[in-house]
Amino acid sequence: MSRVDVDVELLDRTPRVATSFATGVATGPGRPGARGELPARRLVLPGVRQDLPRLAGFCEVTGGLLADTVPATWLHVLTFPLQVRLMSARDFPFPMLGMVHVGNRMRVHRPVRVSEELTLSTWAEHLAPHRKGSTVDLVGEVRVADELVWEGRSTYLVRGDTPPGATAEEVRTDLGVAARASGPGRQVALWRLPADLGRSYARVAGDANPIHLSALSAKAFGFPRAIAHGMWTHARALAAVQPRLPQRYAVSATFVKPILLPSTVVLRTGGPGLEDLSVTDREGSRTHLSMQVDGPL
Amino acid sequence: MPDQLTDAVILGGNRIPFGKAGGAYADASNQAMLTSTLDGLVARFGLAGERVGEVAAGAVLKHARDFNLTREAVLGSALAATTPAYDLQQACGTGLETVIQVANKIRLGQVDSGVAGGVDSASDAPIAVGEGLRKALLGASRARTPLARAKALAAVRPGDLAPETPRNAEPRTGLSMGEHQALTAREWGITREAQDELAAASHHQLAAAWDSGFFDDLATGFLRLSRDEGLRPDTSVDKLAGLSPVFGKGEGATMTAGNSTPLSDGAALVLLGSPQWAAEHRLPALARFVDAEVAAVDYVSGDEGLLMAPAYAVPRLLARQGLTLDDIDRFEIHEAFASTVLATLAAWESEEFCTGRLGLDGPLGTVDRSRLNVHGSSLAAGHPFAATGGRIVATLAKMLHDLGPGSRGLISVCAAGGQGVVAILEGC
Repeated sequence: MSRVDVDVELLDRTPRVATSFATGVATGPGRPGARGELPARRLVLPGVRQDLPRLAGFCEVTGGLLADTVPATWLHVLTFPLQVRLMSARDFPFPMLGMVHVGNRMRVHRPVRVSEELTLSTWAEHLAPHRKGSTVDLVGEVRVADELVWEGRSTYLVRGDTPPGATAEEVRTDLGVAARASGPGRQVALWRLPADLGRSYARVAGDANPIHLSALSAKAFGFPRAIAHGMWTHARALAAVQPRLPQRYAVSATFVKPILLPSTVVLRTGGPGLEDLSVTDREGSRTHLSMQVDGPL
Repeated sequence: MPDQLTDAVILGGNRIPFGKAGGAYADASNQAMLTSTLDGLVARFGLAGERVGEVAAGAVLKHARDFNLTREAVLGSALAATTPAYDLQQACGTGLETVIQVANKIRLGQVDSGVAGGVDSASDAPIAVGEGLRKALLGASRARTPLARAKALAAVRPGDLAPETPRNAEPRTGLSMGEHQALTAREWGITREAQDELAAASHHQLAAAWDSGFFDDLATGFLRLSRDEGLRPDTSVDKLAGLSPVFGKGEGATMTAGNSTPLSDGAALVLLGSPQWAAEHRLPALARFVDAEVAAVDYVSGDEGLLMAPAYAVPRLLARQGLTLDDIDRFEIHEAFASTVLATLAAWESEEFCTGRLGLDGPLGTVDRSRLNVHGSSLAAGHPFAATGGRIVATLAKMLHDLGPGSRGLISVCAAGGQGVVAILEGC
């Protein structure tokens, strides 16, 4: 999925998410939106040493177990500051506020060890019409030396802004995953999520979006209470099947409805195995996340 | 139940390099280390998705939430979720006691295979709240009204808020293990020089074993460690002689940080099976589990030293097997302190101790030092309490396999509470 035809912007340190947020908010008005073009740049950050105490915190908050090989969702977290940097940059067509992470795919080519030094890269592609607006994919790669070990694709939705001249056939409806499950499925686990979950996850994941941090800051953005990070829910669901994951696998997730905090939610499986999971409310009537791992678990 | 006992054989092991307290594994919990070590063992022996007979392991420093530590590790591992597991605890004897337990079950035909060992973290040790706060919290949780809850909590005094960290002290004597051992070292006249020589040899021999690749199929790197963190290949008797004593007081104190084991983090596991199970899995047997003995001494009255129980257990075990020290090709005597090993050896050479205390006709005999801890031991590797037994069993089994069928090895591990766990293995 790599775009070799784009320019490389070499970074010498992990971009500060807070700085990017500030830039994104301040420079958001007046961007061209779906009429514009995605930046033809790839951000590359070499020489990344993984922060062990932070990884341990990430595993703790997401219900995983610190091991020698790191969770795929952790590698997403490492590339997240690059995503935010790209989306907040002045040449990105959409204002960052209002971009909603609606789907995520990751492919693990081999287990990545915590002691390995990584090269991260991120770029934007696939600006596509959607029935509710437009979608953009933020694509990431993790390499060890030249070896590609992880790929990620985060799909963001911009509501109400459709690229001009989009035909009906081009309109994207799937967001990458089709839930195979039918009905609420079988309950695997009950999770009790505390009110401060967003703050706990923000500390280890570096995503301090105000909608996750407190009821007050969430209200400012139209949510009645703080909402759980979609990637937290994804990481927790993936941690639940961690012992069964093969050496190489792909996983995709769709963020359907936000989880208001505090909350009690249920992890469910759609079939006899654990490859087809969803996170719902206790009754199973409201789906928050749908996650599929390719291959039987 | 079968009329005849089957053999229990050791098929191999896996450990993570041991870390120093507050070092490379400072962020790793017991459950994380045990699960990773189990997964490494499963990968090495191709057991993913399999149900083995049982997994027995333990930890000495243990959080209350880890009441089912080993079962949780199994559920978090690649083993089949239908593998039973339990925790066992006998202080520093934990790891070896789990091996004895699993081996006995295999010998009785109750299981055909099993994993045994342990884990410990001195970095992630539990901290308890003081008694005053604990009782107030319990009272508040029992209270039925907000007022009663407030009253219960109002009983808390500032002094109650200080946490209680686990202490390395015997509850009945108030002395730390090192202070106890200092008494024993003095009683047996163990010199500083002899202790430092043993410590230096431990480091040099363990370093040589890592260099030669001996641990390649016994250990799996974890986090940032590929070798034991406390290993000092370049230490020497001269360097060790420069350290100040930390245990015992005043003139004649001999025990330093260099000839005592450091607080450590780590995990070690051993795979055992019946010969038939081993054959079905095409796994060569390294050693046969022969027999084991546990002794305890009355250290509270001062009748015997805290860590001297192995000096009693070994002669009883040898007698039951009709063996002498000369029949043993490899000795693995856990180096809680250099002086523990030396006092044990001195006791077996002492006519007074062996006739008076053991009821023998004369001295038990002399341990050939060239057969003792030949690939180093706890002084160099470190000593995550419950992990030491698994480290030693796997190491000895491989050594005996290399020596050939019929070779014999003796393991001796001293433990808090005045206990000693010992066992004999025979090479396959």
